[in-house]
Amino acid sequence: MRRAQRTLTFVGGSALALSLLAGCAAAAPSSEEPVAGGTLVYATGDAEPSCLDPHVGGNYPQALLATQYIESLVSKNADGDIIPWLAESWEESDDGLSWEFRLRDDVSFTDGTPLTADAVAANIAHLKDPETASSTGYLAVGKIESTTSLDEHTLRIDLSAPDSALLDSFSMPWVGIQSPTALERGEDANCESPVGTGPFIVEEWTRQQGVRLVRNEDYNSWPQDAAHEGTAWLEAIDWRFIPDAATRYAALQSGEVDVIDNPQPNALAAASEDGPITAVAAPRPGASNRIELNAGKAPFDDARVREAFIRAAKVNDGIEGLFFGTVARSYSVLSSVEADSLSTPEYFDADLDAANALLDAAGWTQRDADGYRVKDGQRLVLEFPVSTNQSVPAEQSLFEQIQATAKQAGFQVILEPLDLSSWYGALAAHEYNLVSAPYTKVGPDVLRILYHSDSTVPAPSGYFANLAQLKDPKLDALLTQASETTDATLRAELYEEAQDIVLSGYHVLPLYDQQNHYLHGEDVEGMRALPTVSTPTFFDAWLSR
Amino acid sequence: MLRWVAAKVAGGAFVLWAIATLIFFGLRLIPGDPAQALLGGPGSQASAEALALVRREHGLDLPLAEQYLLAMGRLATGDLGTSYSLRQDVLTLIGQQFWGTLLLTVLSLATAWAIALLLATWATRGSRSGRAVASGLEVVASAVPHFWLASMLILLFSSLLGLLPPVSVEGPSGLVLPVLTLALPLAGFLAQVMRESLADALESPFVLSARARGETETGVRWRHAIRHASLPAISLSGWAFGSLISGAVVVETVFARPGLGRSLLSAVTARDIPMVTGIALVSALSFVLVTIATDAIDRVADPRLRRA
Repeated sequence: MRRAQRTLTFVGGSALALSLLAGCAAAAPSSEEPVAGGTLVYATGDAEPSCLDPHVGGNYPQALLATQYIESLVSKNADGDIIPWLAESWEESDDGLSWEFRLRDDVSFTDGTPLTADAVAANIAHLKDPETASSTGYLAVGKIESTTSLDEHTLRIDLSAPDSALLDSFSMPWVGIQSPTALERGEDANCESPVGTGPFIVEEWTRQQGVRLVRNEDYNSWPQDAAHEGTAWLEAIDWRFIPDAATRYAALQSGEVDVIDNPQPNALAAASEDGPITAVAAPRPGASNRIELNAGKAPFDDARVREAFIRAAKVNDGIEGLFFGTVARSYSVLSSVEADSLSTPEYFDADLDAANALLDAAGWTQRDADGYRVKDGQRLVLEFPVSTNQSVPAEQSLFEQIQATAKQAGFQVILEPLDLSSWYGALAAHEYNLVSAPYTKVGPDVLRILYHSDSTVPAPSGYFANLAQLKDPKLDALLTQASETTDATLRAELYEEAQDIVLSGYHVLPLYDQQNHYLHGEDVEGMRALPTVSTPTFFDAWLSR
Repeated sequence: MLRWVAAKVAGGAFVLWAIATLIFFGLRLIPGDPAQALLGGPGSQASAEALALVRREHGLDLPLAEQYLLAMGRLATGDLGTSYSLRQDVLTLIGQQFWGTLLLTVLSLATAWAIALLLATWATRGSRSGRAVASGLEVVASAVPHFWLASMLILLFSSLLGLLPPVSVEGPSGLVLPVLTLALPLAGFLAQVMRESLADALESPFVLSARARGETETGVRWRHAIRHASLPAISLSGWAFGSLISGAVVVETVFARPGLGRSLLSAVTARDIPMVTGIALVSALSFVLVTIATDAIDRVADPRLRRA
């Protein structure tokens, strides 16, 4: 399996390099005026969703698709400020316990149902209903206690505790607003063809092949930062599932598809503004890509051993070499697009001598014949389960480089590539010392989900988001206070202090910003990623052919 | 003959039951919780209520023995259940994917046979160096992994020459590369088997007598020797069909072709127990049927077997 994956990377890589040489055609000049019509073909490497309604479950592949047909109460602009969308305006009460949302009164869902306060209330009820089996959206509306329709287009939301992340939550596709009439059809029908207010409509879903999206001819609810008004330029989008990265890229080169996501780093590095293939980079909000150090058990219950590992792991060379300059090193637990992100390079300088001294001080003084450190007859072993479904080959190679550099200090890092279920199983059984788990959520409140001690308590499934096993009452207090304060300055200070506790305690090794990358052909104009969770939007896109 | 058929059918039924049992326990032995996998994609966190509900809904909270008996009872009545990840009837889903994979495997088998016959006749004819090249090709072809071959074919025919699409579009052009990917390694293998028995046959007395009757060299090969040389390859075709089904997992994924192989891969990843069981049973059933068919052809082609 392991070898197969390496071969995969290598073959894909060499195939890409050769085909790049073959595909150096000059770019045709594009007309300046947008052209209406045409079908854009999008090929995704993310998994095929099991349900097109992003309320059900709630993962990234669903968000990618839902952005085309479901819209949210609020959005974000490129600067990260919340902007109105389906909600025109809103007001928070002084105690932070209730909010009033004023909705647009001229918007209808694509099945003709009007957008009203009752419709939004039905969506919140749908998210909170255990039958929906929502996960991401469920957490996002967790503090909402009740909803009241004050008039046809005004909704009051009452909370159990102040929630400074409420607007961030409402901007996410997993909390998008759907037609209550459509929701009433039941889960099966709604998973098959969810109904929103977006610029496109789900026409047909052919399993394993793709989803056919057609233009919403009555569209009028574009976000404030859109480039044009009216309906979408494109007549339709053919959304195809092409799991293999090399095939996806070959299909883009041969012109069979117009846009791909999840490209391999070398393909991304080769794309350029004036070439036939252009890259669109979109940083994801929430947490950075990072390795969590499990402080819940030996050897990482000793802060010196954690620091030693972080000092021994050389990350920068690996990132430069494997990602071809397409990602930037992160020294923060938060994505660099988060305004409250604290970056502390000083904690992460690679220093082999310091690592060795720390391990000596922690009692790991002996080395065995293989060069690994030993204490009381126990080897210094770190288990590192890797979810192959959530990690690109380049990232897995980066882990291998970290394994090699950590060995110089005497750590034996055991990389275990696992499928998603087995990976969850290893985490639930606490069979890990190191782990890399993606988490996308808009806003710094993601820190509370990842590092509050409440998140070490497993759900009945055994899953917990606090994989670093951080249990620090001071940190808990900071995170709770930050999630409840309405004062932006105070909130930023609290989050800064909280992040410093996580970083200076050597609980996390940040790697790079979580970024979405898209490649598109020369015919595609006006494509952008929505600044909320960086999913692509094709409302402004048009084809110059 | 009737007895022979009955024995084959009973054997096939036993194989199906054994496979269903193996899959049932195998999927539950792997660590991890199907309910969690069902609800939790990357980066999502299922609530306790949702998990409890899903467990109840799918009977995952029952004792293992009870789950097993229930599952076998359903399978015996032809009910393959509902897919966890796709939320649709497994039999319907398989019905949608089956024909694409069948077309792919049947075409690949036919192509492999055609290439193998050409390779084998070439390898027993021609010059010494020609023969060496042919047998070398056979060995290389049979050793090439599907994944590598698929990538190279895409590189050559799509990226460099621009002749064929890299993903399976509708129509015959999309089938060429997937079929070649599956057929080439199999052809190399079949040709090796055929070449040996063809060489044997060409030394046999019946060939000598045919030559003595004045048959041309081509006539000897195609009318007499090939029939003889095909016997072991026919027997192997049942096995070959099985290998094509597993090859379909790779080929359907690389060429983004809908089919049973790709469904199987995503079902395994999603820990979709009913779907995995359903696909494995349908593949096993096809395998059993093809094996019975090749045995029957063998008996027709080789009268000695009927007496045995």
